[in-house]
Amino acid sequence: MSGVLTREDLAIEAPAPREDLPLPLSLRGVSKAWDKGRVPVLSRVDLDLDIGDRVRIAGRNGVGKTTLMRIAAGLIDPDQGRATVWGASAAERPERYQRLVSFLPAGDRGLYARLSVRRQLDFWARIAMVPRRQVAARVEEAIETFDLRELADRRVDRMSMGQRQRLRIAMTFLPRPDVVLLDEPLTSLDGEGAAILYAAIERLLDAGGALLWCSPAGEHMDYEFDRTYMLDEGRLVPA
Amino acid sequence: MSGLGDNLSAFFAVVRRDFHIFLSYRTRLVSQILTSVFSLTLFYYVSRLVHVDGFTTPDRYFGFVVVGIALVGVLYSCFAVSETIRQELVAGTFERLLLSPFGGVRGAVATAIFPLLYSFVLSTITLGLGAIIFGLQLHWSTVPLALPALILALLAFLPFGLFFSALTIATKQANVGATWVIALLSIVGGLYFPVALLPGWAQLAAEVQPFTPATELLRHLLVDAPMETSVGLALAKIVGFAEILVPLSLFALYRAIRLGQHRGTIIEY
Repeated sequence: MSGVLTREDLAIEAPAPREDLPLPLSLRGVSKAWDKGRVPVLSRVDLDLDIGDRVRIAGRNGVGKTTLMRIAAGLIDPDQGRATVWGASAAERPERYQRLVSFLPAGDRGLYARLSVRRQLDFWARIAMVPRRQVAARVEEAIETFDLRELADRRVDRMSMGQRQRLRIAMTFLPRPDVVLLDEPLTSLDGEGAAILYAAIERLLDAGGALLWCSPAGEHMDYEFDRTYMLDEGRLVPA
Repeated sequence: MSGLGDNLSAFFAVVRRDFHIFLSYRTRLVSQILTSVFSLTLFYYVSRLVHVDGFTTPDRYFGFVVVGIALVGVLYSCFAVSETIRQELVAGTFERLLLSPFGGVRGAVATAIFPLLYSFVLSTITLGLGAIIFGLQLHWSTVPLALPALILALLAFLPFGLFFSALTIATKQANVGATWVIALLSIVGGLYFPVALLPGWAQLAAEVQPFTPATELLRHLLVDAPMETSVGLALAKIVGFAEILVPLSLFALYRAIRLGQHRGTIIEY
C-alpha cells in the first residue's frame, strides 16, 4: 500500500461524466435550412460552452453564423437538434432562457430612434425583468461602464453609429446574463469602444459567464479566445 | 417565473416607451384636436340641415354623432397596434421584445395600451369641445359610468388589434384589410347613423361584434340616447365578446410568433 488513498479505497462514487451535466450553452445536432429546406445552412452542429469559455465562430459572409447565433439566442428554432441553456431549451422555458442569455444582433437595429439613451436602457432593463428595485442602479451602472454619461439624455437618432453600438452593447450586458452572444460586435466601434467591450467580457467571465462571439473570417481583433471554429458548409471545424 | 411586480414594471415600461415616443412628435396632439374640431363642425351643420326620423331635434342627432366620432378614434386605436408591430419588425425592436423574458405576446398586448389610452383622452377632448363650442348636452348624472363601460368595451375591442397584429407578424404587412374592417364596423356599429336604417342583413352583422352594444351603451350613458335593448343585455354582450375574443386573439398572436420562430421568418420584415 502506497499510503495514498484512492476513490476506490474510500468507495466514493466518481462524478458523473461531463456530458451529463448541463452547460451554460449547448448546441446538439443543430440543423437549419432556408427556403422550405432547399437551402441548407447548418448541418448537425454541436457546440458546448462551459463556464468561463470564450469561443469565436468565424466564417465567410452568408455561411450561417448569424443563423447559428439566432438559434442559440432562442430567436428562431432549429429544424433539427436542440439549443439549451443550463439544460433547458427556449421552447420549453422561454422566460428563463431569455433571462440567462443575452444576444447582440449584428447591425445597428433594435433601438428606438426617438428615445434617449437613459430611457432606452431603462426600458430594456424592465422588459429584461431586472428586479425593479435594481433598475435605476443598473441603468446608471451601464451608463458609467460603457462611457455613455455624456450621451445619456441624447436621442438615439442623434448619435453616431459607433455610439449606438456602444449603447447596444450596454443593453446586452445590463441584465447580467450567464451567456452572452455577440454577432459582429466590433461593427462601428473605435479602439476605446472595443476596449470597453473587452473589459465587459472579462467581468462576465469572472462572474462565471460564457461568451460566444461571431465575426467574419479575417477580422482583425486584439482579443484572445479559448477556442475558434470556422463555420464551413454547415459544420463547425476547429480553426 | 417573474413576480407580478416585475411583470407590471415591464408592462408599464412599454406604455411609457410609447408615451415618450408620442411626446417626441410635438405637433401630433394639436393636429388631432384640430381634426376633431373640423369633424364636429361638419356634423354640427349637417345636424342643422338634415331632419332624421327618430331624432326629435337637430341637437339629439348631433349628440348621437359626436359620441360616434369619439368612438371612431377608439376603433382606429384598436387597430393601431398592428401598425406599431409592423414598424417594430422593420426597426428590429420587436426582435428585442422576443429576446426578452417579457416576450412577444405580452409585449404586443402592452403595445396596444398606449394607443387605447390616447384615444380615450382624445375622445374626452372631442366630447368636451362638443359641449363647450357646440353646446352638446351631456347627461352628467351617468357620465361617470361611461368610464367603466368604456374600459369593458376596450377589453372587447382589443382582440381586433391583436388578431391583426398576428396577421402582421405572419404576413409582414400592416393592417391587411384593416381599413375595410374599420369602415365596416363603423357602419354596422352605428357610429354615424342608427343601425335601424340599415338593411336586414347588415343589422344582423351589427349583432355579431361588440361595437354596436358598446356604442349604444356609451351613447346612453353620455347623452341619454334611448337604447334598443336593456343596459344589462348590452353589458352582457360586451362581456361575452371579451370572454371569447381575448383568449382567441392571444392564442392567434402566440401561434403567429411561434410559427415565425419555427420557420425562421420572425426575423423578416
